[in-house]
Amino acid sequence: MTTTVAATRRRRGRVVARNTALGWAFLLPNFAGFTLLTLVPVGLLFYYAFTEWNVFGGATWTGLDNFEQLVGDKSFWTALGNTVYYAAFHIPLTLVVSLGLALLLNRKLRGVAFFRTVAFFPYITSIVAIAQIWNMLLSPGFGPVNEVLRFIGVANPPGWTSSADWSMPAVIVVSTWRDMGYYMLLFLAGLQTIPKQLHEAAMVDGASAWDRFRAVTLPGLRPTTFFVTVLLTINSFKVFDIILVMTDGGPGQSTLVLSQYIFQKGFEENQFGYASAVSIVLFALCFVVTVIQFIVNKRGSQ
Amino acid sequence: MKRSLAAVTALVLALTGCSSGDDADESGPISLSLAGWSLATTPEFQKLADGFKTAHPDIAVELKEYDAKNYDTQMIADLAAGKAPDVYVQKNLKNFYTYQDGKQLLDVSDVAAKLGSEVGGLSGYQVDGKTWAIPYRADSWVLFYNKALFDKAGVKHPDGSWTWTEYAATAKELTTKLKAKGDKALGTYQHTWQSTAQGPALAQTAGASLDSGDFGFLKPYYETALDLQAAGAQVGLGDATTNSLTYQAQFGKQSTGMLIMGSWYIATLLSQQGTGDADTFEWGIAPMPQLTKATTGTSAKPVTFGDPTGLGINPKISERKIQAAKDFLAYAAGPDAAKALAGIGATPADTASAADTIFALKGVPTDELSKFTFTNHDTKPENPVSKNTAPLQNILNDLHTAVLSGSKPIDAAITEAQDRAKNEVLK
Repeated sequence: MTTTVAATRRRRGRVVARNTALGWAFLLPNFAGFTLLTLVPVGLLFYYAFTEWNVFGGATWTGLDNFEQLVGDKSFWTALGNTVYYAAFHIPLTLVVSLGLALLLNRKLRGVAFFRTVAFFPYITSIVAIAQIWNMLLSPGFGPVNEVLRFIGVANPPGWTSSADWSMPAVIVVSTWRDMGYYMLLFLAGLQTIPKQLHEAAMVDGASAWDRFRAVTLPGLRPTTFFVTVLLTINSFKVFDIILVMTDGGPGQSTLVLSQYIFQKGFEENQFGYASAVSIVLFALCFVVTVIQFIVNKRGSQ
Repeated sequence: MKRSLAAVTALVLALTGCSSGDDADESGPISLSLAGWSLATTPEFQKLADGFKTAHPDIAVELKEYDAKNYDTQMIADLAAGKAPDVYVQKNLKNFYTYQDGKQLLDVSDVAAKLGSEVGGLSGYQVDGKTWAIPYRADSWVLFYNKALFDKAGVKHPDGSWTWTEYAATAKELTTKLKAKGDKALGTYQHTWQSTAQGPALAQTAGASLDSGDFGFLKPYYETALDLQAAGAQVGLGDATTNSLTYQAQFGKQSTGMLIMGSWYIATLLSQQGTGDADTFEWGIAPMPQLTKATTGTSAKPVTFGDPTGLGINPKISERKIQAAKDFLAYAAGPDAAKALAGIGATPADTASAADTIFALKGVPTDELSKFTFTNHDTKPENPVSKNTAPLQNILNDLHTAVLSGSKPIDAAITEAQDRAKNEVLK
């Protein structure tokens, strides 16, 4: 009796060990790449943030100097302000637009696959091409957008990417247009999980379309909405490519965002220590906001 | 610890970059790798490689292409990763400090010692009594003008006597008169770069310096540029950036009567007129407009600006290639390369050996003023060698886009740039 128990336990132990090894084996290719290309550099970042390093040779430990410099650095605060400005408009705008698109394209419609593809297209188009085309469309003097505005009677249409006041709105609009297809896809997937019976029951009870949206669709989409919000938040705070190719932070510093400031300090001025310190601030910002979202979501679902 | 961290970072940089491996074989024929950019439109690198090959048939020179706009960023990453070519170009002086201070250049004082005094721009590469790079080209900014458009409008050609006032007046006159003839070309084109306004300002204003943190010297130059934009004699900065205008197309396709640009454009224009990328028309070069009358006229030396372009040796080069690399540098700065470069319209560091060659080329203007402009100039560096130059130029680039886009008045922008310089750089 005792021997069989021991044997079973041993056999089970062997199975567990084998399964663990198998699991690790499946994880390994991805995890090795992740460790080498992401985890190690990110870990190093926390060291470099406390040093002065010009990429060549060794870094010199400078303690908290970089962070002291950060507090008094006006350009850093401008970049932080612009990043928050961008996120504050880009997150809600993209959320609403992509949800709207998803609802619109979640019905039985002739050619719905075509329209879904069209909405997704901006997301898979090269960012450089997008920037080039939108910059031409928004060109202050001869761009089609301003031609239309002038035609309908706007005497002084905005300068868009060539004006300090309008460059950020222009970037926000273009990046919403670019991102909406991707988040629409996530919402579409979420919509499939809401049972049809709930809608039918609500209809029998005489609920209007708006009531059904508020009482059935929105609560049903809650996990998706949360996921999309978290993704959008992180992506908005670390926005880089679209700014770099559309305005390069200009005119002046009107669209300078944190990740571009990091690029400028690091790769253009070779102050990698200082750039790392700014990166940590960006990391902390994303982290804190995401944690808050998790807490709020948890409270809401209780 | 520090060393291993640097090694890991270098490894990561190497893994993320995608360059071909360096040849580690210690025998066989010597092959030097040489950095270059926009190889299709910049034939000089191939010229140098071919010319050197003629003199040294046993040494091959292979070109490695970089992006012209992000050259320094890519090169720094490659150097840190140990993947950079054996010989690489100092595209301008803005980043020379970074390379030299970062110990990424081999001491080439012995090559410099053998060069003649006619090689210009060498002093820019000397630090602590040693020379770290060898100039092979020394460009200066000049005024290009389209003779055909001037004649069409019936406007008098530049005569070398211009200050910025005459330049602006002519640009406006040209625009108006061309319009009357039904030609849409504008009077002048100053490209989107900060150099077009800040380069001449720094060179021509007495006592102006970046390190002083006093940028008041920029004001008259921006007033001229804004005036030209407002008068419609020059494409506005916003229109130029949003439509990705290139100065090559603006001048080459005759959309502008004048162009302020470095002398490297002579080579590009010649080659593009040959291939049909640019229209065929008569053009000429005149000295940069001056700040005061004192430096105008063909009896004076017009003040302009430009950084030399030099070659440096990557210290990671294998021992057996060092001599070949030094020979290559000496060749590139010498009279043979000067003639070869002049043969494609480039301005070599040794201009004395080159003037005859360049003006014998088909398509190069042969008028007296063009010849005078090519050989007579007091060329100040655009980027004085200092550790503050790169960050200060970034601040001044923000000023440039803010002012020319009309987002900020020039006085406020100068005050802001000075505050930022004090706050961020000159601490």
